[in-house]
Amino acid sequence: MIQVTNLQKAYNGITVLDIPFLSIPQGESFGLVGNNGAGKTTLFRLILDLIEITKGEVLIERHKVMRNDAWKNMTGSFLDEGFLIDFLTPEEYFKFVGKLHHKSDTDIADFLETMSDFFNGEVLYSKKLIRDFSRGNQKKIGIAAALLGDPKLLILDEPFTALDPSSQIRLKRFLTDFQSKFNMTMLISSHDLNHITDICSRIVVLEKGKMVKDLQTNTDTLTELEAYFAV
Amino acid sequence: MLIINLITQEWKKNFRAKGYYNNLAVNLLLGFFGLYMAVILLFVGFSLDEFLENADNSLNPMELFNGGLLYILLFGLVLRFMVQQLNTIDLPSYQILPIKRSSLINFLLLKPLINPLNYFLLLIVVPFTIQSVVRYYDVSVGLRFVLSFIFLVWFNSLSAAFLKRRFGSGWFSIILIIGVIAGVFALEYFNLFSLFYLSKDIFNFIILQPMGLCFPLIAVVIVFLINKWFFSKNYYPEGFNKKMKSERIYSANFSFLDRFGIVGEIISMEIKLILRHKRTKSMMYVSTVFLFYGLLFYTKDIYANNIGLLFFIAMFMTGLLMYMYGQWMLSWDSGHFDSLMTKNIPIKTYLKANYYLLLTFNILCFVLTTPYFYFGSKIIFMHIVAFIFNVGVNIYLLLFLATYNTKRIDLTQTSALNYQGTTFKNFLIVIPLMIFPMGLVYLISYFVSMTLAMWTLTIIGLSGIVLRKPLLKICVLQFNNRKYKMAEGFREVGS
Repeated sequence: MIQVTNLQKAYNGITVLDIPFLSIPQGESFGLVGNNGAGKTTLFRLILDLIEITKGEVLIERHKVMRNDAWKNMTGSFLDEGFLIDFLTPEEYFKFVGKLHHKSDTDIADFLETMSDFFNGEVLYSKKLIRDFSRGNQKKIGIAAALLGDPKLLILDEPFTALDPSSQIRLKRFLTDFQSKFNMTMLISSHDLNHITDICSRIVVLEKGKMVKDLQTNTDTLTELEAYFAV
Repeated sequence: MLIINLITQEWKKNFRAKGYYNNLAVNLLLGFFGLYMAVILLFVGFSLDEFLENADNSLNPMELFNGGLLYILLFGLVLRFMVQQLNTIDLPSYQILPIKRSSLINFLLLKPLINPLNYFLLLIVVPFTIQSVVRYYDVSVGLRFVLSFIFLVWFNSLSAAFLKRRFGSGWFSIILIIGVIAGVFALEYFNLFSLFYLSKDIFNFIILQPMGLCFPLIAVVIVFLINKWFFSKNYYPEGFNKKMKSERIYSANFSFLDRFGIVGEIISMEIKLILRHKRTKSMMYVSTVFLFYGLLFYTKDIYANNIGLLFFIAMFMTGLLMYMYGQWMLSWDSGHFDSLMTKNIPIKTYLKANYYLLLTFNILCFVLTTPYFYFGSKIIFMHIVAFIFNVGVNIYLLLFLATYNTKRIDLTQTSALNYQGTTFKNFLIVIPLMIFPMGLVYLISYFVSMTLAMWTLTIIGLSGIVLRKPLLKICVLQFNNRKYKMAEGFREVGS
């Protein structure tokens, strides 16, 4: 699904990310952990073609990502509030995103029905603009919109922060559901080692722009990660 | 003192803002404009005495001036209500410090009073005082005259802030303001009642009576207390910055755009963007005023043979909305640029949507300016040619050059006179767009004939329309080249 070769990103000559090779097969749930500044968001931005690659390349389904549109119809993503259109109401925003994927109004309504648990009755029919919602609810809107186009690839940056405990558990549950049902590839970064070991089958640790660990999740993974991050 | 501290910190915030020095060119330009205004006001101030002296009236100049003060107060209030921004403070960073609530309120209320813009009119008042008031009375009266004017400014600023906080700037207040102005006009017009003599008596009393100055001072204190009372009653710390309840959402759905697919969706999003932000809305209001700009030129005989200038005006009129909106093209989307770049929107579709939006603007302006056809066949001809040229050349040029706009626009900031996100580039864009065709028309019509000039531009414009596909393709390539620079610039908050 994703193929990264010799990827480098440098700002003013200082390399902040350096990944010689990384391959993520279709259907894998891929977790990314690392302290602040390790390069998690930079990697996601490079994959989404939001910043320029200094060296190397990223392929999604054998399509070059750079300056290309072909990957966009199979990718859903939410990194931060910049991925929302904050002067729309949630309904208008979902309709907008749905239409981009050629969904009918009923398709969109059906999809939102499946999200109603996650929204907890706070998002839809409130006649508020997205910018007037709390950060937690904005995040829910962004994640739902990312899933709306039946993506083959889902990229979420710290999806659990700002969510309340119940929503975190619900999110975990339906991410796993979606993933197994549609064989979706998932890239998730998080600071919460518990959550990430729960839902990801493979976990990569980034430090100062380099991959330092690449683990297949098993019962010992959590302890291993905790030991790694302990100071 | 605490308030002084807070004020200096606000200054630092301005000067240390990321964009301040990048934006120096714009600031300089605005500075020059300010200087220009200052010179004009000074000029008015020095000639006011002579002007009032010659007035056909038995009153002396100061009395005449006093007669106008109530009008100044009233219209100042209206103007402030519409334009003055409510002072806010970056509260969270101060909330955790041991600063008393009342100090913060005092800061919020008093800071606008030190804004130099408030005292611009003193450039008229002070020279007038020196020349006229001191001559008729003495220095102490002159001093009181100036002081009373300053009190008037304070009173105005504080009451406008109160009214704005109390009533917001919704339709209700706009109608109320229009009502008040219309009322004053009507009373004058039908000779029912004139504020003039009332105003003269009040301010003569204030200035000439020994304790007169106490009254405006008391009025200022009272408004200040009302403001404070309003705060203490209605505002909790977290609400200091809260804007008045967000206005009604225009939930009109542009379902007729549905059949245009993704392009239609993007256009309807952009229309919502325009309708739901103050800055874009006030831009539209200003544009409607500009629609009358042509009257200044088309009616005058001296411009009748200045083909270049007339064509410039024709281009401006028929492309008005495009030029207003296009200056910040693509920057408007800065807040959700990442969203547009990662959603299923091919770049070509995105630019096409912008193309059709500008095209719609042009058609709209062309239709709205058809009343100018009344001024003769020359104007008709020019408007049609200008329209073709705008559509055939300038739309692409704008789309191409707009990729150099890399400043984030924070649309949640509200103000009528908001230049945030403006760089020198925004002004530069206009040169190739308007000056070049104007020069071409000027040259050809000077050396050959106006007819040839018009046909030349028509042919250039028409070929642009025919070559739509390859031209858009060039814009897409340019966009892809500049994409990362734009995305990076748009992510930079707070400059």
